[in-house]
Amino acid sequence: MEFKEYYKTLGVEPTASADDIKKAYRKLARKYHPDVSKEADASSRMAEVNEAYAVLSDPEKRAAFDKLAQRRSSGEDFAPPPGWDAGFGFGDAGSPVGDDGDYSDFFNTLFGRAARARQSGGARAQMRGTDQHAKISINLADAYHGATRSLALRETRLDESSNVVNAERVLEVRIPRGVKAGQSIRLRGQGSPGFNGGTAGDLYMEVEFEPDARYRVEGRDVTQSVPVAPWEAALGATIEVPTPAGRVEVKVPDGSNNGRKLRLKGRGIPGEPPGDLYLELELATPPAKDDKAREVYQTMAREFSSFNPREPMGAQP
Amino acid sequence: MTRYKVDAVLIDEETLDLQELASACAVPSTWIVERVEAGLLACDSSGGEMRFASAHLVRARRMATTERRFDANQEIAALVADLIEEVEQLRRQVHAAVRPRD
Repeated sequence: MEFKEYYKTLGVEPTASADDIKKAYRKLARKYHPDVSKEADASSRMAEVNEAYAVLSDPEKRAAFDKLAQRRSSGEDFAPPPGWDAGFGFGDAGSPVGDDGDYSDFFNTLFGRAARARQSGGARAQMRGTDQHAKISINLADAYHGATRSLALRETRLDESSNVVNAERVLEVRIPRGVKAGQSIRLRGQGSPGFNGGTAGDLYMEVEFEPDARYRVEGRDVTQSVPVAPWEAALGATIEVPTPAGRVEVKVPDGSNNGRKLRLKGRGIPGEPPGDLYLELELATPPAKDDKAREVYQTMAREFSSFNPREPMGAQP
Repeated sequence: MTRYKVDAVLIDEETLDLQELASACAVPSTWIVERVEAGLLACDSSGGEMRFASAHLVRARRMATTERRFDANQEIAALVADLIEEVEQLRRQVHAAVRPRD
Protein backbone atom coordinates (compact mmCIF):
# COMPACT_ATOMS: atom_id res chain seq x y z
CA MET A 1 0.00 0.00 0.00
CA GLU A 2 1.34 3.41 -0.96
CA PHE A 3 1.88 5.92 1.82
CA LYS A 4 0.11 9.20 1.04
CA GLU A 5 2.04 12.43 1.51
CA TYR A 6 -0.93 14.55 2.51
CA TYR A 7 1.07 17.69 3.32
CA LYS A 8 2.68 17.64 -0.12
CA THR A 9 -0.71 17.11 -1.74
CA LEU A 10 -1.97 20.35 -0.20
CA GLY A 11 1.39 22.09 -0.68
CA VAL A 12 1.87 22.95 3.01
CA GLU A 13 4.52 22.22 5.61
CA PRO A 14 3.83 19.69 8.38
CA THR A 15 3.95 22.64 10.77
CA ALA A 16 1.13 24.47 8.93
CA SER A 17 -1.65 25.90 11.05
CA ALA A 18 -5.24 24.75 10.66
CA ASP A 19 -5.99 28.07 8.99
CA ASP A 20 -3.17 27.64 6.46
CA ILE A 21 -4.40 24.13 5.66
CA LYS A 22 -7.90 25.42 5.06
CA LYS A 23 -6.61 28.21 2.79
CA ALA A 24 -4.47 25.79 0.80
CA TYR A 25 -7.40 23.41 0.44
CA ARG A 26 -9.78 26.10 -0.81
CA LYS A 27 -7.26 27.35 -3.34
CA LEU A 28 -6.83 23.84 -4.76
CA ALA A 29 -10.58 23.14 -4.57
CA ARG A 30 -11.11 26.10 -6.90
CA LYS A 31 -8.27 25.06 -9.19
CA TYR A 32 -9.48 21.48 -9.63
CA HIS A 33 -13.24 22.05 -9.43
CA PRO A 34 -14.48 19.38 -11.87
CA ASP A 35 -17.18 21.61 -13.36
CA VAL A 36 -14.86 24.45 -14.36
CA SER A 37 -11.26 23.22 -14.32
CA LYS A 38 -9.40 22.96 -17.63
CA GLU A 39 -6.88 20.52 -16.11
CA ALA A 40 -7.07 17.10 -17.77
CA ASP A 41 -6.85 15.22 -14.47
CA ALA A 42 -9.02 17.60 -12.45
CA SER A 43 -11.30 14.91 -11.00
CA SER A 44 -8.52 12.68 -9.74
CA ARG A 45 -6.55 15.65 -8.38
CA MET A 46 -9.68 16.90 -6.61
CA ALA A 47 -10.15 13.48 -5.04
CA GLU A 48 -6.54 13.54 -3.76
CA VAL A 49 -6.98 17.03 -2.37
CA ASN A 50 -10.26 16.07 -0.68
CA GLU A 51 -8.63 13.04 0.89
CA ALA A 52 -5.68 15.03 2.21
CA TYR A 53 -7.98 17.67 3.65
CA ALA A 54 -10.26 15.06 5.24
CA VAL A 55 -7.26 13.92 7.29
CA LEU A 56 -5.38 17.16 7.92
CA SER A 57 -8.47 19.19 8.86
CA ASP A 58 -9.40 16.75 11.62
CA PRO A 59 -7.12 17.21 14.68
CA GLU A 60 -7.36 13.54 15.73
CA LYS A 61 -6.74 12.15 12.26
CA ARG A 62 -3.93 14.64 11.67
CA ALA A 63 -2.21 13.70 14.92
CA ALA A 64 -2.49 9.99 14.13
CA PHE A 65 -1.21 10.59 10.60
CA ASP A 66 1.75 12.64 11.93
CA LYS A 67 2.64 9.82 14.30
CA LEU A 68 2.56 7.30 11.46
CA ALA A 69 4.63 9.55 9.20
CA GLN A 70 7.35 9.88 11.86
CA ARG A 71 7.62 6.12 12.32
CA ARG A 72 7.67 5.35 8.64
CA SER A 73 10.84 4.44 6.76
CA SER A 74 10.77 6.18 3.42
CA GLY A 75 10.72 4.15 0.22
CA GLU A 76 9.23 0.97 1.61
CA ASP A 77 5.77 -0.38 1.08
CA PHE A 78 3.52 0.84 3.82
CA ALA A 79 1.47 -1.22 6.26
CA PRO A 80 0.10 0.31 9.46
CA PRO A 81 1.84 -1.13 12.54
CA PRO A 82 -0.40 -2.81 15.14
CA GLY A 83 -1.95 -0.36 17.56
CA TRP A 84 -0.91 2.66 15.48
CA ASP A 85 -4.18 4.40 16.31
CA ALA A 86 -4.20 3.70 20.06
CA GLY A 87 -5.17 6.82 21.95
CA PHE A 88 -6.93 8.47 19.02
CA GLY A 89 -10.67 8.63 18.49
CA PHE A 90 -11.77 9.53 15.01
CA GLY A 91 -15.51 9.30 15.67
CA ASP A 92 -18.04 9.02 12.90
CA ALA A 93 -18.65 12.65 12.17
CA GLY A 94 -18.21 12.10 8.47
CA SER A 95 -15.90 13.86 6.11
CA PRO A 96 -15.64 17.65 6.04
CA VAL A 97 -15.63 17.43 2.28
CA GLY A 98 -18.77 15.37 2.15
CA ASP A 99 -19.54 12.47 -0.07
CA ASP A 100 -16.82 12.94 -2.63
CA GLY A 101 -15.00 10.09 -1.01
CA ASP A 102 -13.25 8.35 -3.83
CA TYR A 103 -10.57 7.62 -1.29
CA SER A 104 -7.41 5.57 -1.59
CA ASP A 105 -6.81 2.22 0.06
CA PHE A 106 -4.40 4.08 2.37
CA PHE A 107 -7.19 6.35 3.62
CA ASN A 108 -9.81 3.63 3.82
CA THR A 109 -7.52 1.31 5.76
CA LEU A 110 -6.62 3.98 8.29
CA PHE A 111 -9.57 6.30 8.52
CA GLY A 112 -12.50 4.84 6.55
CA ARG A 113 -15.72 3.56 8.02
CA ALA A 114 -14.42 0.03 8.28
CA ALA A 115 -11.42 1.33 10.21
CA ARG A 116 -13.67 3.25 12.59
CA ALA A 117 -15.85 0.20 13.12
CA ARG A 118 -12.72 -1.81 13.92
CA GLN A 119 -11.42 0.90 16.24
CA SER A 120 -14.63 0.86 18.24
CA GLY A 121 -14.23 -2.87 18.72
CA GLY A 122 -16.56 -3.78 15.89
CA ALA A 123 -19.25 -1.25 16.69
CA ARG A 124 -22.49 -2.82 17.83
CA ALA A 125 -24.81 -0.46 16.00
CA GLN A 126 -25.89 -1.25 12.49
CA MET A 127 -24.48 1.16 9.96
CA ARG A 128 -25.83 1.59 6.46
CA GLY A 129 -23.09 1.91 3.88
CA THR A 130 -22.61 5.32 2.31
CA ASP A 131 -23.87 6.14 -1.16
CA GLN A 132 -21.18 6.50 -3.78
CA HIS A 133 -21.02 8.53 -6.96
CA ALA A 134 -19.23 8.05 -10.26
CA LYS A 135 -19.46 9.13 -13.87
CA ILE A 136 -19.93 6.75 -16.75
CA SER A 137 -19.25 7.48 -20.42
CA ILE A 138 -21.36 5.93 -23.14
CA ASN A 139 -21.69 6.63 -26.84
CA LEU A 140 -24.79 7.70 -28.68
CA ALA A 141 -25.50 4.21 -30.02
CA ASP A 142 -25.60 2.97 -26.41
CA ALA A 143 -28.31 5.55 -25.65
CA TYR A 144 -30.36 4.23 -28.60
CA HIS A 145 -29.94 0.54 -27.92
CA GLY A 146 -28.82 0.16 -24.30
CA ALA A 147 -25.39 -1.19 -23.36
CA THR A 148 -23.38 -3.12 -20.83
CA ARG A 149 -20.34 -1.51 -19.24
CA SER A 150 -17.77 -2.95 -16.84
CA LEU A 151 -17.04 -0.87 -13.79
CA ALA A 152 -14.24 -1.73 -11.32
CA LEU A 153 -14.93 -0.58 -7.76
CA ARG A 154 -12.75 -0.71 -4.67
CA GLU A 155 -14.34 -1.49 -1.37
CA THR A 156 -13.09 -1.62 2.19
CA ARG A 157 -14.65 -3.92 4.77
CA LEU A 158 -13.89 -5.85 7.93
CA ASP A 159 -13.04 -9.52 7.68
CA GLU A 160 -14.07 -12.11 10.27
CA SER A 161 -11.12 -11.13 12.48
CA SER A 162 -12.09 -7.43 12.31
CA ASN A 163 -9.15 -6.62 10.07
CA VAL A 164 -9.67 -3.94 7.47
CA VAL A 165 -9.37 -5.46 4.00
CA ASN A 166 -9.45 -3.77 0.62
CA ALA A 167 -10.98 -5.66 -2.27
CA GLU A 168 -12.01 -4.95 -5.81
CA ARG A 169 -15.20 -6.00 -7.49
CA VAL A 170 -16.33 -5.57 -11.06
CA LEU A 171 -19.86 -4.66 -11.96
CA GLU A 172 -21.32 -5.53 -15.34
CA VAL A 173 -23.79 -2.67 -15.55
CA ARG A 174 -26.71 -2.98 -17.93
CA ILE A 175 -27.59 0.56 -18.98
CA PRO A 176 -31.14 0.99 -20.24
CA ARG A 177 -31.88 2.46 -23.66
CA GLY A 178 -33.12 6.02 -23.72
CA VAL A 179 -30.60 7.49 -21.29
CA LYS A 180 -29.67 11.14 -21.82
CA ALA A 181 -26.44 12.96 -21.08
CA GLY A 182 -26.55 14.42 -17.57
CA GLN A 183 -29.07 11.88 -16.31
CA SER A 184 -28.20 9.78 -13.31
CA ILE A 185 -28.69 6.08 -12.99
CA ARG A 186 -28.88 4.20 -9.74
CA LEU A 187 -27.54 0.82 -8.71
CA ARG A 188 -29.22 -0.19 -5.49
CA GLY A 189 -26.97 -1.78 -2.90
CA GLN A 190 -23.76 -1.25 -4.92
CA GLY A 191 -22.33 1.58 -2.80
CA SER A 192 -20.18 1.10 0.29
CA PRO A 193 -20.92 -2.04 2.31
CA GLY A 194 -22.83 -1.68 5.60
CA PHE A 195 -21.56 -2.87 8.97
CA ASN A 196 -23.09 -5.20 11.55
CA GLY A 197 -25.90 -6.19 9.24
CA GLY A 198 -26.53 -2.69 7.91
CA THR A 199 -27.54 -2.49 4.27
CA ALA A 200 -25.08 -1.39 1.61
CA GLY A 201 -25.36 2.11 0.17
CA ASP A 202 -26.35 2.82 -3.41
CA LEU A 203 -24.15 3.71 -6.34
CA TYR A 204 -25.18 6.67 -8.47
CA MET A 205 -23.65 7.24 -11.87
CA GLU A 206 -23.98 10.40 -13.90
CA VAL A 207 -24.07 9.63 -17.60
CA GLU A 208 -21.97 11.56 -20.08
CA PHE A 209 -21.65 10.96 -23.81
CA GLU A 210 -18.28 10.32 -25.41
CA PRO A 211 -17.46 13.17 -27.79
CA ASP A 212 -18.47 12.35 -31.36
CA ALA A 213 -17.98 14.99 -34.06
CA ARG A 214 -20.72 13.40 -36.19
CA TYR A 215 -23.54 14.25 -33.81
CA ARG A 216 -24.84 17.10 -31.72
CA VAL A 217 -27.21 16.11 -28.94
CA GLU A 218 -29.64 18.34 -27.06
CA GLY A 219 -31.80 16.41 -24.63
CA ARG A 220 -33.21 13.57 -26.72
CA ASP A 221 -32.88 15.45 -30.03
CA VAL A 222 -29.95 14.50 -32.24
CA THR A 223 -28.54 16.48 -35.16
CA GLN A 224 -26.37 14.80 -37.75
CA SER A 225 -24.67 16.26 -40.83
CA VAL A 226 -25.40 14.47 -44.10
CA PRO A 227 -23.27 15.12 -47.20
CA VAL A 228 -25.28 15.40 -50.43
CA ALA A 229 -24.19 15.91 -54.02
CA PRO A 230 -25.18 19.21 -55.69
CA TRP A 231 -27.57 17.43 -58.09
CA GLU A 232 -29.24 15.59 -55.19
CA ALA A 233 -29.87 18.92 -53.46
CA ALA A 234 -30.95 20.72 -56.64
CA LEU A 235 -33.10 18.01 -58.22
CA GLY A 236 -34.20 16.10 -55.15
CA ALA A 237 -33.32 12.49 -54.39
CA THR A 238 -33.99 9.57 -52.13
CA ILE A 239 -30.80 8.78 -50.22
CA GLU A 240 -29.77 6.14 -47.69
CA VAL A 241 -28.25 7.49 -44.49
CA PRO A 242 -26.59 5.53 -41.66
CA THR A 243 -27.91 7.02 -38.39
CA PRO A 244 -27.68 5.98 -34.73
CA ALA A 245 -31.22 4.61 -35.21
CA GLY A 246 -30.05 2.42 -38.10
CA ARG A 247 -30.04 2.98 -41.86
CA VAL A 248 -32.90 5.13 -43.06
CA GLU A 249 -34.09 6.17 -46.52
CA VAL A 250 -34.70 9.89 -46.69
CA LYS A 251 -36.26 12.00 -49.42
CA VAL A 252 -34.25 15.15 -50.07
CA PRO A 253 -36.65 17.80 -51.47
CA ASP A 254 -35.62 19.47 -54.71
CA GLY A 255 -34.21 22.96 -54.36
CA SER A 256 -32.51 22.16 -51.04
CA ASN A 257 -29.63 24.34 -49.96
CA ASN A 258 -26.59 23.73 -47.78
CA GLY A 259 -27.61 23.64 -44.11
CA ARG A 260 -31.24 22.64 -44.69
CA LYS A 261 -32.51 20.46 -41.85
CA LEU A 262 -34.72 17.45 -42.43
CA ARG A 263 -36.61 16.27 -39.36
CA LEU A 264 -37.19 12.58 -38.71
CA LYS A 265 -39.82 12.59 -36.00
CA GLY A 266 -39.26 10.13 -33.17
CA ARG A 267 -35.88 8.95 -34.51
CA GLY A 268 -33.91 10.71 -31.77
CA ILE A 269 -32.97 9.06 -28.47
CA PRO A 270 -35.81 6.69 -27.42
CA GLY A 271 -38.02 7.72 -24.52
CA GLU A 272 -41.46 8.97 -23.59
CA PRO A 273 -41.65 10.93 -25.78
CA PRO A 274 -38.72 10.01 -28.04
CA GLY A 275 -36.52 12.76 -29.43
CA ASP A 276 -36.26 13.76 -33.06
CA LEU A 277 -33.38 13.21 -35.46
CA TYR A 278 -32.36 16.18 -37.59
CA LEU A 279 -30.35 15.58 -40.75
CA GLU A 280 -28.48 18.72 -41.74
CA LEU A 281 -27.63 18.75 -45.45
CA GLU A 282 -24.05 19.55 -46.32
CA LEU A 283 -23.22 20.04 -49.99
CA ALA A 284 -20.25 17.98 -51.12
CA THR A 285 -18.72 18.75 -54.52
CA PRO A 286 -16.84 16.16 -56.59
CA PRO A 287 -13.16 17.04 -57.06
CA ALA A 288 -12.13 18.50 -60.45
CA LYS A 289 -9.19 16.13 -60.69
CA ASP A 290 -9.25 15.27 -64.41
CA ASP A 291 -10.09 16.95 -67.72
CA LYS A 292 -13.56 15.46 -67.91
CA ALA A 293 -14.51 16.70 -64.45
CA ARG A 294 -13.06 20.13 -65.17
CA GLU A 295 -15.07 20.27 -68.40
CA VAL A 296 -18.29 19.61 -66.51
CA TYR A 297 -17.52 22.46 -64.08
CA GLN A 298 -16.62 24.76 -67.00
CA THR A 299 -19.96 23.93 -68.63
CA MET A 300 -21.74 24.74 -65.37
CA ALA A 301 -19.88 28.03 -65.12
CA ARG A 302 -21.07 28.99 -68.60
CA GLU A 303 -24.64 27.83 -68.08
CA PHE A 304 -24.97 29.52 -64.68
CA SER A 305 -23.05 32.66 -65.54
CA SER A 306 -25.65 34.88 -63.85
CA PHE A 307 -25.44 32.93 -60.60
CA ASN A 308 -23.36 34.62 -57.92
CA PRO A 309 -23.44 32.79 -54.56
CA ARG A 310 -22.12 35.97 -52.85
CA GLU A 311 -24.95 38.16 -54.06
CA PRO A 312 -26.79 37.93 -50.69
CA MET A 313 -23.63 39.45 -49.16
CA GLY A 314 -23.90 42.49 -51.40
CA ALA A 315 -21.44 41.38 -54.09
CA GLN A 316 -22.06 42.69 -57.62
CA PRO A 317 -23.05 40.21 -60.34
CA MET B 1 -11.96 -10.53 -8.18
CA THR B 2 -15.72 -10.82 -7.93
CA ARG B 3 -17.94 -9.92 -10.88
CA TYR B 4 -21.60 -8.97 -10.55
CA LYS B 5 -24.26 -8.27 -13.16
CA VAL B 6 -26.57 -5.44 -12.22
CA ASP B 7 -29.36 -3.50 -13.90
CA ALA B 8 -29.14 0.27 -13.77
CA VAL B 9 -32.31 2.24 -13.11
CA LEU B 10 -32.83 5.68 -14.61
CA ILE B 11 -33.57 8.04 -11.76
CA ASP B 12 -36.01 10.01 -13.88
CA GLU B 13 -38.13 6.88 -14.25
CA GLU B 14 -37.87 6.04 -10.56
CA THR B 15 -37.38 9.33 -8.74
CA LEU B 16 -35.80 9.67 -5.30
CA ASP B 17 -37.71 10.46 -2.12
CA LEU B 18 -36.49 12.98 0.44
CA GLN B 19 -34.51 10.49 2.51
CA GLU B 20 -32.86 8.95 -0.55
CA LEU B 21 -31.76 12.34 -1.86
CA ALA B 22 -30.42 13.33 1.57
CA SER B 23 -28.45 10.10 1.76
CA ALA B 24 -27.09 10.55 -1.77
CA CYS B 25 -25.88 14.04 -0.86
CA ALA B 26 -24.62 13.02 2.62
CA VAL B 27 -26.77 15.70 4.28
CA PRO B 28 -29.65 15.57 6.79
CA SER B 29 -33.12 15.63 5.23
CA THR B 30 -33.75 18.99 6.94
CA TRP B 31 -30.95 20.41 4.76
CA ILE B 32 -32.95 19.47 1.67
CA VAL B 33 -36.27 20.75 3.03
CA GLU B 34 -34.77 24.13 3.98
CA ARG B 35 -33.43 24.67 0.48
CA VAL B 36 -36.64 23.56 -1.21
CA GLU B 37 -38.67 25.92 1.01
CA ALA B 38 -36.20 28.74 0.27
CA GLY B 39 -36.70 28.17 -3.47
CA LEU B 40 -33.07 27.21 -4.03
CA LEU B 41 -33.76 23.61 -4.98
CA ALA B 42 -36.74 22.38 -7.02
CA CYS B 43 -38.65 19.14 -6.61
CA ASP B 44 -41.76 17.45 -7.91
CA SER B 45 -44.45 17.60 -5.23
CA SER B 46 -47.43 16.83 -7.47
CA GLY B 47 -48.04 13.51 -5.73
CA GLY B 48 -48.15 15.06 -2.26
CA GLU B 49 -44.57 14.22 -1.29
CA MET B 50 -41.27 15.58 -2.50
CA ARG B 51 -39.72 13.57 -5.35
CA PHE B 52 -36.40 14.34 -6.96
CA ALA B 53 -35.09 13.61 -10.48
CA SER B 54 -31.57 13.51 -11.94
CA ALA B 55 -31.24 17.28 -12.34
CA HIS B 56 -32.27 17.82 -8.71
CA LEU B 57 -29.71 15.28 -7.51
CA VAL B 58 -26.89 16.89 -9.47
CA ARG B 59 -27.84 20.39 -8.27
CA ALA B 60 -28.25 19.34 -4.63
CA ARG B 61 -24.83 17.66 -4.65
CA ARG B 62 -23.22 20.73 -6.19
CA MET B 63 -24.78 22.98 -3.57
CA ALA B 64 -23.80 20.68 -0.69
CA THR B 65 -20.24 20.40 -1.98
CA THR B 66 -19.86 24.17 -2.38
CA GLU B 67 -21.21 24.81 1.11
CA ARG B 68 -18.81 22.30 2.64
CA ARG B 69 -15.68 23.14 0.69
CA PHE B 70 -15.91 26.90 0.98
CA ASP B 71 -18.08 27.37 4.07
CA ALA B 72 -20.50 29.09 1.68
CA ASN B 73 -24.01 30.03 2.75
CA GLN B 74 -26.89 28.39 0.94
CA GLU B 75 -27.68 31.38 -1.30
CA ILE B 76 -24.09 31.61 -2.56
CA ALA B 77 -24.01 27.84 -3.13
CA ALA B 78 -27.25 28.09 -5.13
CA LEU B 79 -25.79 30.96 -7.16
CA VAL B 80 -22.71 28.84 -7.95
CA ALA B 81 -25.00 26.00 -9.04
CA ASP B 82 -26.98 28.45 -11.24
CA LEU B 83 -23.79 29.63 -12.90
CA ILE B 84 -22.47 26.11 -13.51
CA GLU B 85 -25.82 25.13 -15.07
CA GLU B 86 -25.62 28.24 -17.29
CA VAL B 87 -22.07 27.37 -18.35
CA GLU B 88 -23.16 23.83 -19.21
CA GLN B 89 -26.06 25.16 -21.30
CA LEU B 90 -23.80 27.60 -23.15
CA ARG B 91 -21.22 24.89 -23.80
CA ARG B 92 -23.94 22.72 -25.35
CA GLN B 93 -25.09 25.64 -27.52
CA VAL B 94 -21.54 26.35 -28.66
CA HIS B 95 -21.03 22.69 -29.52
CA ALA B 96 -24.33 22.62 -31.43
CA ALA B 97 -23.45 25.81 -33.33
CA VAL B 98 -20.02 24.62 -34.42
CA ARG B 99 -20.51 22.29 -37.37
CA PRO B 100 -17.99 19.49 -37.50
CA ARG B 101 -15.35 19.64 -40.21
CA ASP B 102 -13.10 16.92 -41.54
